[in-house]
Amino acid sequence: MNLSLRAQERLRLGFIYVLCAIVMIWALAPIYWVAVSSISTRRELYAQPYKIWFPSEPTFESYHTIFTQGAKFRDGTFSPTAHLMSAGLRNSLVISVASAAVVTLLATGAGYAFARMEFRGKNAIFLLIMLMLPLPIWVSLIALFFIMSRLELVDSLLGLVLIFVTLLLPLAVWMMTTFVRDIPAEIQDAARVDGADRWRILYSIVLPLARPGLVAVFLVAMLTTWNNFLIPLIFSRTDDSQPLTIVLTLFIGQYEVAWEDMSAAAVVTMLPPFLMALFFQRYLVRGLTMGAVK
Amino acid sequence: MKTANRLLSSDSRYVIVVLTPIVLLIALFIYYPAVETFNTSLTNRNLRIRRPPKAIGLDNYVKLVNDDEFWEVTGRSFKVVLITLPLEMAVAFGVAMLLNQRFPGRGAVRTLAILPWMLPGVVNGFLWGWLLNGEYGALNGFLYQFGLIGEYQYWLREPDHQLFWVCVVQTWTRYAFPTIILLAGLQSIPDDLFDAGKVDGASAWHRVRYITFPLLLPSFGIALVVEFIAAFQIFDVVWTLTAGGSAGGAMNPFTKTLMLYNYELVFRDLRIGLGAALSYIILAMSLAVGVIFVMRVYNQGVQEQ
Repeated sequence: MNLSLRAQERLRLGFIYVLCAIVMIWALAPIYWVAVSSISTRRELYAQPYKIWFPSEPTFESYHTIFTQGAKFRDGTFSPTAHLMSAGLRNSLVISVASAAVVTLLATGAGYAFARMEFRGKNAIFLLIMLMLPLPIWVSLIALFFIMSRLELVDSLLGLVLIFVTLLLPLAVWMMTTFVRDIPAEIQDAARVDGADRWRILYSIVLPLARPGLVAVFLVAMLTTWNNFLIPLIFSRTDDSQPLTIVLTLFIGQYEVAWEDMSAAAVVTMLPPFLMALFFQRYLVRGLTMGAVK
Repeated sequence: MKTANRLLSSDSRYVIVVLTPIVLLIALFIYYPAVETFNTSLTNRNLRIRRPPKAIGLDNYVKLVNDDEFWEVTGRSFKVVLITLPLEMAVAFGVAMLLNQRFPGRGAVRTLAILPWMLPGVVNGFLWGWLLNGEYGALNGFLYQFGLIGEYQYWLREPDHQLFWVCVVQTWTRYAFPTIILLAGLQSIPDDLFDAGKVDGASAWHRVRYITFPLLLPSFGIALVVEFIAAFQIFDVVWTLTAGGSAGGAMNPFTKTLMLYNYELVFRDLRIGLGAALSYIILAMSLAVGVIFVMRVYNQGVQEQ
């Protein structure tokens, strides 16, 4: 108790930073390790015991390997890894960006209707959409697979985008309804009086004012789609539609020992979510917690 | 078209245009298949056997309830829940308490602490699988270098250990969500409550036990329900960490949880009817436990206050 206030504060901060270091090691060590592995030479990475913690000659060789060469699959009938990797990257990008764009568009129009308009069946339709949120959609997926087969939408980018848009709708509509509700009603009422119709209000008043909401919906939709594994596991068959999350698991079967190459593939798969989490975390956290806490 | 336009007000037309695609998508892709799956669960549909599916009533459900593997897998899923939830809540509570302190750099620590949650689950499973690798893994290298182990360990060899590590990786993947919920709860507790506690001479531990904890119960309730569903339906993490069989081989039986078992029944064994029944059992269990959780936590919260 005879410590001065300043010393006490310094002690408190010191203690806090020790705890912070522990949390950082826990949260980041696995990520750091895979990043280091991806730029190590195999000789160093496979040293026993390993004690370098940073490669003495960092190299991007593994990234080069997974995109340009690589052996064929076990029995040699599938496409080479080089093609798998670039196809996966393309598919992941197309699916996540397209799904996010479509769902943001649909949810904005609907969000405005639910937030600011009265119409017959409004509550029933809103409930119908929101009921999906707490219910596990797994029961739907089983029969959906056979429906998609009949529609010839299995192993197609269009099929995956349609499924993701549907799965993302409840959260997106919920978010947009909330965001539009936060825009002062007076501005919209004034426009109504001036004779603007709903489309005009949506376009020139709601869209600009709800931009942070729009961005949040788009980013959350893109992140969840990029990260998803179960949907393409069921609905993708070949590199026509397989995203990176699937390609990564194919690599695990293929390279029993090439950990540096697999690490590079893992880094490529997690880089977009990683960057989004660093730069847009505020939006993402807001959106991702919204669905669960109503 | 002209008359239709005149009959419908411009408002109605707006509503119809924006809601029709949404309602169609949800009806066609969610509700209709959900009913179809249920109907299938009442048949003996099996794509391995060439015969038209026959209605067999509730036989699939009866068969599952009398099946040893079903109970084994269900027990394993609950085991995952029972190990993961306490672990996850403890980590989340600790991190939330830390992030609730004032210190320079708090924003950066918060951003980085939440990162794992935003990464793909299959990548997380792979990250840890590599970290725990018995020959070249970093955990072995680290512990060996500091003399904590005499020789390299195969961390993922024993079945019991596999399930434990699955829970650790699930914790790593998900703890950010309860952390955020608890942090929001902590920040809504007024400071004067703690000041009053201090004046009354309550120790730091007592303040946490009798002020922070009871006031956080609703936040714990929300976090527990969401994380229960996530752990109970665990899939991605197991797939890359311990499930094996991604090239079409047999799945590792020691970490086969309900969702993996269900995936195997439907998409590997093609026993569609039986798998459909299992999916509805999983749905029922998730809902039941979710409701019980919420009620208990809230009741306790009401009693303590």
